[in-house]
Amino acid sequence: MQDFLELAVSATASGCVYGLIALAYLLMIRPTGIINFAVGEWAMVAAFGGHLLLSRYEWNYAVGMALVLGFMFAVGLVTERVAVRPLVRQPILAPILALLGVLVVTRELISVSFPPDPLPVPFPFGIGRLEFGPVGGSYQNFFIIGLTLLTFVAAWLFFEKTLWGKAFEAVALNRRAAALMGINLSRVTAFSFGAGAAVAGLGGLLVSPNVSAHYLMGVPLAIQGFTALVIGGVGRVEGALLGGLLLAFAEQLTIRYAPIPGGYAQGVPLLFLIVFLVVRPTGLLRAKA
Amino acid sequence: MKTKILEIKNLTKRFGGLTAVAGLDFEVREGEILGMIGPNGAGKSTTFNLIAGAYPASGGEVRFAGENILGLPPHRIAARGVLRTFQHNRPFSGMSVLENVLVGAHTQFRGGVFSAKAREEEAQRRRRAQELIEFVGLGELREADVGTLSFGQGRLLEIARALAGEPKLMLFDEPAAGLTPAELERLAGIIRGIAARGIAVLLIEHDMHFLLPLAHRVVVLNFGAKIADGLPDDIRANPAVTEAYLGSSHAAAR
Amino acid sequence: MIRFLVAFIVLAAAPFFLGDYHNDVYRKMLLWIALALGYNFLFGICGQVAFSHFAFYGIGAYSVVILLFQLSVPLPLAILLGIGICVLVALAVAIPSTRLEGFYLALATLALAQLFVVILNEGGAVTGGTGGIANYRLPSIFGFQVRGPWYTAVIVLLVLFTYWILARLDRSWFGRACRAVRDNPEAAAAMGVDVARTKVIAFTLTSALAGIAGMVYAFVDNTVNPPIFGLDNAFLLLFMVIVGGSGRHAGAVIGAALLFLLPFWLSPIVGHHHVLVFGVLMLAAILLQPQGLIGVFDSIRRKL
Repeated sequence: MQDFLELAVSATASGCVYGLIALAYLLMIRPTGIINFAVGEWAMVAAFGGHLLLSRYEWNYAVGMALVLGFMFAVGLVTERVAVRPLVRQPILAPILALLGVLVVTRELISVSFPPDPLPVPFPFGIGRLEFGPVGGSYQNFFIIGLTLLTFVAAWLFFEKTLWGKAFEAVALNRRAAALMGINLSRVTAFSFGAGAAVAGLGGLLVSPNVSAHYLMGVPLAIQGFTALVIGGVGRVEGALLGGLLLAFAEQLTIRYAPIPGGYAQGVPLLFLIVFLVVRPTGLLRAKA
Repeated sequence: MKTKILEIKNLTKRFGGLTAVAGLDFEVREGEILGMIGPNGAGKSTTFNLIAGAYPASGGEVRFAGENILGLPPHRIAARGVLRTFQHNRPFSGMSVLENVLVGAHTQFRGGVFSAKAREEEAQRRRRAQELIEFVGLGELREADVGTLSFGQGRLLEIARALAGEPKLMLFDEPAAGLTPAELERLAGIIRGIAARGIAVLLIEHDMHFLLPLAHRVVVLNFGAKIADGLPDDIRANPAVTEAYLGSSHAAAR
Repeated sequence: MIRFLVAFIVLAAAPFFLGDYHNDVYRKMLLWIALALGYNFLFGICGQVAFSHFAFYGIGAYSVVILLFQLSVPLPLAILLGIGICVLVALAVAIPSTRLEGFYLALATLALAQLFVVILNEGGAVTGGTGGIANYRLPSIFGFQVRGPWYTAVIVLLVLFTYWILARLDRSWFGRACRAVRDNPEAAAAMGVDVARTKVIAFTLTSALAGIAGMVYAFVDNTVNPPIFGLDNAFLLLFMVIVGGSGRHAGAVIGAALLFLLPFWLSPIVGHHHVLVFGVLMLAAILLQPQGLIGVFDSIRRKL
């Protein structure tokens, strides 16, 4: 039982990271319909940013983190400007493909600028453990869970309560009508990419102390995050987190208890993705009517 | 009396709580132009889509050449000889005018891709496609990229493409929308020409000035039900029809 | 027919005049061209985005090797079975996917491609695990050992055969139906095109062709290992087709040849990071010239 609780905390933390990536996708998909696979690379860039500012230059954690996230927001804005806005008149496949190009270019730029081995990112609170009765986990795990919850609450409030959030929903429902009502489409799109990049960046920063920054970490994260999104559904913000948690639990339970070799664990998100796409592509949670 | 090619019996469609089409009955004969009119929301588009196979019906029958085609997917309906145009032109944007029309002839190709007949069949269909392109008046634009066509020309392409399927029944979805008076003249001539070849025509249209002189018979819908069925002159004089249109514009004004 | 004969003679004769190293480059380039032609038909002409092409390349390669050398199946049967396996897997992927909206096929095939590599890596004795299978040789055919430049002729045959099938299909009503499905599936259905069946046939056919190419590939290096069949090469194939000009056979050929040869010319400047150049070229193609290099040639020709 103790074993399971330990696993539960760890899985929850993993699930939170997947959920953040899924949220990043969601922020961009909702107003534009564009699936941006570069989110994984964005998480990777933030991880390297974390390594640079926090490990190499040893800045204060909060400051460094804020700076990296701000940088990621800018990266999102630039990406939108370069790879999405010029293609606004073309079918949706064009920006999706362009973003694949961005994915590859981003990965290569990082791989050119840094040594090839995994690079360390420090733990904000060190490597200690926290115990709440029977439930225990590393500081990092609780930090991840905490920040993720904060982010999701913020996202939920944004969509439900703020005017900008309503604008997003309006654009998601009907671009033309939204534009006719005076909503500035390019500003909404730009913001969605900036926010998406920042959220993906947060995911990257949170996971990298455990796994180190490595230029190949992007694509697996992109796939896991996307699977989480498909499981949870694009309709609701909470879906992204739910999908992430379900995926992480399935993964970790399989690794821990299933009688198959460990390498197959990588197959779990892939199998989930295929199954969900075929059986229930709209995800588990339905969008609000 | 020409044979009935299309018989609609008790056609019904419900979308959740809303009944869009309620127990509709009418028929179309070979070589006849049947116009379908009615105010906005009367159920014309829904009826059209039910016949074309866009979605399933809640009840009733659509008998084409004696067989119920209700529930068949669109491509099977086309294979039986029911071809349609789209209200908002839908050309195949990556192809020329001729190629677009050749897609319309898809159901007419019998030979396999690698068979001996294939080349001959292709040549034969090309000749036919060219005839149809001339018939609608797009002759010189045969090789043109469909992106260069004007709105009216795109409409003509829709028609030529559908005709390439050698239809026994043509469904026109508001073909007059957005056309200039000269284009309307040409369109009316084309539709008459089609009916003259023995093809049955079901024409959904808003524009009464265009429809009433053209149709042999007219069916009027309101709130999903048929409120009148007869010759254009009778429809013109029918008080229930005027009421339906005035009533609806009254409602819109409020 | 004459043109094919001439092309075959010219292309097959070339390796007899090239050294071993250039022969190897030539063969690999031909294989990429074969793959790009097939992928171009699926992506450019049928409008289906899929990342499974290299997985089928791998299924073909591994199948023929496992059947020949672990199960001692005679060569002709091994080839037929290999094709059969590709067809079955393709159908299993395509049939459910056609119900899904556009990009879902891309995602399902993306997952499939990754899953394939995981299976290869974990396959133990059957697949040779992460090291793959090596040290086998093509059995003699009618007593003749097909090696070196003679094997290159086989690859040339593969390319020409792939081209012939796809060009024939492209010009036929099936090719038109594929394009119609790409451009406007609803209108295509209204004209009598069975959209789902067209997509399934296109996917299965091009995947089978990729599998056949994989079988030919198995005897080029006489080794098969997992990394070759992963996503990186799948992306590269997509880039090749887009940069060359999607929807045009010539575009596939040019894109494949160019992007394959580019690293050799660029390596003094960019080292291993030629992928960066590919990404940039891809972006440039999408943003500036969606018709690809073929489009550029066309506009130059028009101006002359």
